[in-house]
Amino acid sequence: MASTGQPPSLKRRDVPVSREGDQLTIIPLGAGNEVGRSCVYMSYKGKTILFDCGIHPAYSGMAALPYFDEIDPSAIDVLLITHFHLDHAASLPYFLEKTTFSGRVFMTHATKAIYKLLLTDYVKVSKVSVEDMLFDEQDINRSMDRIEVLDFHQTVEVNGIKFWCYTAGHVLGAAMFMVDIAGVRVLYTGDYSREEDRHLRAAELPQFSPDICIIESTYGVQLHQPRNIRERRFTDVIHSTISQGGRVLIPAYALGRAQELLLILDEYWSNHPEFHNIPIYYASPLAKKCMAVYQTYILSMNERIRNQFANSNPFKFKHISPLNSIDDLSDVGPSVVMASPGGLQSGLSRQLFDIWCSDKKNACVIPGYIVEGTLAKTIISEPKEVTLMNGLTAPLNMQVHYISFSAHADYAQTSTFLKELMPPNIILVHGESHEMGRLKTKLMTELADCNTKIITPKNCQSVEMYFNSEKMAKTIGRLAEKMPEVGETVSGILVKTGFTYQIMAPDDLHIFSQLSTANITQRITIPYSGAFGVMKYRLEQIYESVESSTDEESGVPTLQVHDRVTLKQDSEKHISMCWTSDPISDMVSDSVVALVLNINQEVPKLVVESEAIKSEEESGKKAEKVIHALLVSLFGDVQLGENGKLVINVDGNVAHLDKQSGDVESENEGLKEKVKAAFKRIQSAVKPIPLSAS
Amino acid sequence: MGTSVQVTPLSGVFNENPLSYLVSIDGFNFLIDCGWNDHFDPSLLQPLSKVASTIDAVLLSHPDTLHLGALPYAMKQLGLSAPVFSTEPVYRLGLLTMYDQYLSRRQVSEFDLFTLDDIDSAFQSVTRLTYSQNYHLSGEGIVVAPHVAGHLLGGTVWKITKDGEDVIYAVDYNRRKEKHLNGTVLESFVRPAVLITDAYNALHNQPPRQQREMFQDAISKTLRAGGNVLLPVDSAGRVLELLLILEDYWAEHSLNYPIYFLTYVSSSTIDYVKSFLEWMGDSITKSFETSRDNAFLLKHVTLLINKSELDNAPDGPKLVLASMASLEAGFSHDIFVEWASDVKNLVLFTERGQFGTLARMLQADPPPKAVKVTMSRRVPLVGEELIAYEEEQTRLKKEEALKASLVKEEESKASLGPDNNLSGDPMVIDANNANASADVVEPHGGRYRDILIDGFVPPSTSVAPMFPFYENNSEWDDFGEVINPDDYIIKDEDMDQAAMHIGGDDGKLDEGSASLILDAKPSKVVSNELTVQVKCLLIFIDYEGRADGRSIKTILSHVAPLKLVLVHGSAEATEHLKQHCLKHVCPHVYTPQIEETIDVTSDLCAYKVQLSEKLMSNVLFKKLGDYEIAWVDAEVGKTENGMLSLLPISTPAPPHKSVLVGDLKMADLKPFLSSKGIQVEFAGGALRCGEYVTIRKVGPAGQKGGGSGTQQIVIEGPLCEDYYKIRAYLYSQFYLL
Repeated sequence: MASTGQPPSLKRRDVPVSREGDQLTIIPLGAGNEVGRSCVYMSYKGKTILFDCGIHPAYSGMAALPYFDEIDPSAIDVLLITHFHLDHAASLPYFLEKTTFSGRVFMTHATKAIYKLLLTDYVKVSKVSVEDMLFDEQDINRSMDRIEVLDFHQTVEVNGIKFWCYTAGHVLGAAMFMVDIAGVRVLYTGDYSREEDRHLRAAELPQFSPDICIIESTYGVQLHQPRNIRERRFTDVIHSTISQGGRVLIPAYALGRAQELLLILDEYWSNHPEFHNIPIYYASPLAKKCMAVYQTYILSMNERIRNQFANSNPFKFKHISPLNSIDDLSDVGPSVVMASPGGLQSGLSRQLFDIWCSDKKNACVIPGYIVEGTLAKTIISEPKEVTLMNGLTAPLNMQVHYISFSAHADYAQTSTFLKELMPPNIILVHGESHEMGRLKTKLMTELADCNTKIITPKNCQSVEMYFNSEKMAKTIGRLAEKMPEVGETVSGILVKTGFTYQIMAPDDLHIFSQLSTANITQRITIPYSGAFGVMKYRLEQIYESVESSTDEESGVPTLQVHDRVTLKQDSEKHISMCWTSDPISDMVSDSVVALVLNINQEVPKLVVESEAIKSEEESGKKAEKVIHALLVSLFGDVQLGENGKLVINVDGNVAHLDKQSGDVESENEGLKEKVKAAFKRIQSAVKPIPLSAS
Repeated sequence: MGTSVQVTPLSGVFNENPLSYLVSIDGFNFLIDCGWNDHFDPSLLQPLSKVASTIDAVLLSHPDTLHLGALPYAMKQLGLSAPVFSTEPVYRLGLLTMYDQYLSRRQVSEFDLFTLDDIDSAFQSVTRLTYSQNYHLSGEGIVVAPHVAGHLLGGTVWKITKDGEDVIYAVDYNRRKEKHLNGTVLESFVRPAVLITDAYNALHNQPPRQQREMFQDAISKTLRAGGNVLLPVDSAGRVLELLLILEDYWAEHSLNYPIYFLTYVSSSTIDYVKSFLEWMGDSITKSFETSRDNAFLLKHVTLLINKSELDNAPDGPKLVLASMASLEAGFSHDIFVEWASDVKNLVLFTERGQFGTLARMLQADPPPKAVKVTMSRRVPLVGEELIAYEEEQTRLKKEEALKASLVKEEESKASLGPDNNLSGDPMVIDANNANASADVVEPHGGRYRDILIDGFVPPSTSVAPMFPFYENNSEWDDFGEVINPDDYIIKDEDMDQAAMHIGGDDGKLDEGSASLILDAKPSKVVSNELTVQVKCLLIFIDYEGRADGRSIKTILSHVAPLKLVLVHGSAEATEHLKQHCLKHVCPHVYTPQIEETIDVTSDLCAYKVQLSEKLMSNVLFKKLGDYEIAWVDAEVGKTENGMLSLLPISTPAPPHKSVLVGDLKMADLKPFLSSKGIQVEFAGGALRCGEYVTIRKVGPAGQKGGGSGTQQIVIEGPLCEDYYKIRAYLYSQFYLL
């Protein structure tokens, strides 16, 4: 582990030594002080969860993966994917197929459907060498079989981990996960937006306040412009560029925000008939395939779009035509092209950028958040020159506009969200470190009176917290017929399922659980040809309680030893022995067997009666000796003190033990406890087994 | 003490009447299901009307009339105003079912129990939940959660939890996975405090898989012979499964006979169903995820919302799925009357008809030779009616997305003339001019040419093979003339337009009816009774998708509730299941009568204690499946805030009788022992191990709830090494506490 930098005082509630199980650990394996490769590890009470499994879009190959080396994939119980974006889901095939991970994976229906399309496309598009390929199409197809789906609000329980998800508003199917382990709740927002747009709902406010909120901080302390102003700016830029005969390039991720932009463009074109001869291209065959998904999962969208569906499908655009490759584009006049990828790393958006960047009539509208290290990020600062894909440099004359439509929460949304939720602990992830730092400072001042902890761990930096969870048990059934008073004892079976405890009487076990109890009756036949009376006599010598009677059915004499084991003379040559299994009875029966066999061997034996009787005194002395010897073996220096007390001296600490009552006097509490416990154990070992145990 | 639970059936016990039950949990009153049947008899709702105002929440379990049909009426007339909970499909398909019911009724009677508006407003108060969503009812400490029931899309098993005690309501569930639905998850609930379930199918055992072949054979045989097939179906429930089955069959055998799905709401139904993939079975979701093939993009089925479209369809054999399943009203009723007399045709029932309906009569064995039916139709269409209708239309448009399509269909109906015209506004009713309509009926007489009437065949020239009968519902007189003058004023244009439509489009109209339309007279219902000779083939194949008697019993003994309440099912079925359950499931089985309140408060004693850290650090759990168990001896103490807590015991623990925990199955023990190199065989109910040792299970087996519940196992043998070895193996099957 890279470091354990956080002060260990976090929520440590006056229990000086917490048991290991109470420690909750959160480690960002990616997206800690960065944007990209979201992956957050969490473990509590032996249950382990991984949130998201993305790649870093600015890197390729293994370097793009989250730091999986830090954890043991096989120990993870559940992996939860919030949405289909590459930086949240794209290392999933790798993680499923190339690591020892064997837990269960969950995502929403829409996410799963798009995940496949998006990753298949990603594999095809990414131009990396074969050894750099993290996974291929086969891996994706195989991963589909292992992914389970859940619906919003549906509660799923795996190994005692309960979780459910809320609408996150970021893209279609995006979810925020609430995880409940033994009553400790953790909310992982993934990417979320509290603003309703053309087709998505705003993120919900969870019903319960979580103990920890792991929240994105992409936009830090920035504030978004109101949506209508952003849309206005967007359409104005396009309007003016086109009026001047320029071309507009909109680099966007294929799915997610692109659909929102297309809805805006299509509407704008419908309202402006003068543009009808200006083509809008959408260069993404992938998005076309995803339309079926958008048309099906309307239940995840907002009321507005669902109402539109009733009349016509709003995702059937009237003014937008698909574009398969750059060759299909007759680049003769003004046009609007939306192309992926959003970061201008490669692909069609980059090809067009290279062609159009030096003409000042053209414009490039960057509509969403862009990751550090991509060309799009570079051109926002409007450098004089850019490096083209072929390595040459070209002047950057085209206008670059940055109008964010990305559905991430801004500062206003984040702070209201957190103020309503009031989580005692906040962990910021998914944000560049300076943005995150500023957000932390600002939130600290804003939430100053709420005693909220805000933590910004780096990748692989673990955050440890302690939750002293109270374990509550429910005593039910016969055992609970009477409320016990203080000081009484309660004995029963403690049954733990998940994180709930029940205490019940053994007889009730089958009523309140699926477990059942059993009685094993044993019947064994022993060859014995001697007289039954002899046996009785021998048994009486050994056991305190031997009762003889006759069997009601067959009339043969029987003996009952300690009410546990019944001996019966079956025939001249055999006796049968019958008892119900439990450790003590088994022991008694074994000794009876030994005894009977013994009689068989040495039938004519004279018994000296006096030998059998030992005086009380004698046995008492013997017990004392044994006690003394055992105490010596435990504590070393043990002497017989005055009035029959034993004086035990360990490294100068002296304890006085009263052998009769078991009372111990000592200055040293620890020693006192130890001597007391030892003496109790010795006594129970020396004394005969009590017979009342049935 | 446990949570107090009372159950009061309001309808649907000891018979097959609609389902409606009052379940009150610590004084919080749930109305679970609010059903009505196809007769819409308000007297059935008598018990509900008494308690409607005291209800705190309504839970709906299935989107059909029997489970939610009375909701609009109860909301409007009985003072029911509680929030309603259901899954999204139950909400949506339930709404469509009610629309279909209303429109079908309205077509043939002066149906005034509720209006489309009442349906809308009743469903407005529905909170939609997803499966396994734990919904916390604020302030009550009660959590309700819907779970998969199967049977119908969105079908729900309700779990109501308070203080850790579960009350489960599960009716009409299906254990089997079907084409579009998963099987129920009822079996995953173990030992709930109370289970309320139905006995409807207790005496029916489903024929095995070959029924599917029978079904397909019957259909293809009829079609090949040139006959038509009618499947009377529900509006938006089981029909979905049938559609998929037919789609598959058609694709598999590349048949090209047309399939028509005819209800007033068929196109909206399928549109919505297409977006309910999340709620369907795994195979449907999976195929969509991988290939984006939506199973409800039906390739062979034509959706119709109006009968004239069917009449205009090309001749030749065809298969029609039409609502209602009961044949009491709706398109299926009309089509049946038309087709019944042709021996080539087939009427295929896929569910048992509701009691006392035409469908039930026809399902009798042997089926009746002739049945009396009442043919009623709404006769047009007069000016103010049209206006009122236009009113309705504009209002509907505002309301809901779904309605748009409905309206469209009605619009087309309006323009298609008297046959299918319907009035949307119950206020505009006039029976005064019953006489005038004599002319109106005539043009439609032609439709009955095929019908045999009591022994005589009308000549082909005859206009109407019927004896017209005019219902003189004089009680409507007072209302007939009540017309809102605003209707005339505002919608003048609309009316003109619509009138023009009618005049222009409907070439079929003869002089008489055309003039009648322009006459601006309100519409009324004309009924006549006729006897239909049932010559067509009648087949009943069970496609109800309910768990059958056998699986009900298996599930019940698995769930093993502490208390069981049986509802919904004929008296015999209820009694049969009760006896079965008393013997095999649990000793507390209740079969309440209507309005009889039974108290199923669990007599469980329970209290909560805190487990102290000190105690828990000494407890060693043993793992047994999902459970971890341990024996505890503890002393009771009190925490600062007055909670009882368990502390480690200060005196030596009293010895306790040891407990062997585990479920021994002889069938599992045998291979286990033989894997250890011991010869084992079953002989006379006992397991013989090696040469001498036998292991037996004695005592009553099977019953989980009652009795001691402890397995009695006997191991016998002579004193030998094997005996101890086998005993050790036997012990290894248990945990000793």
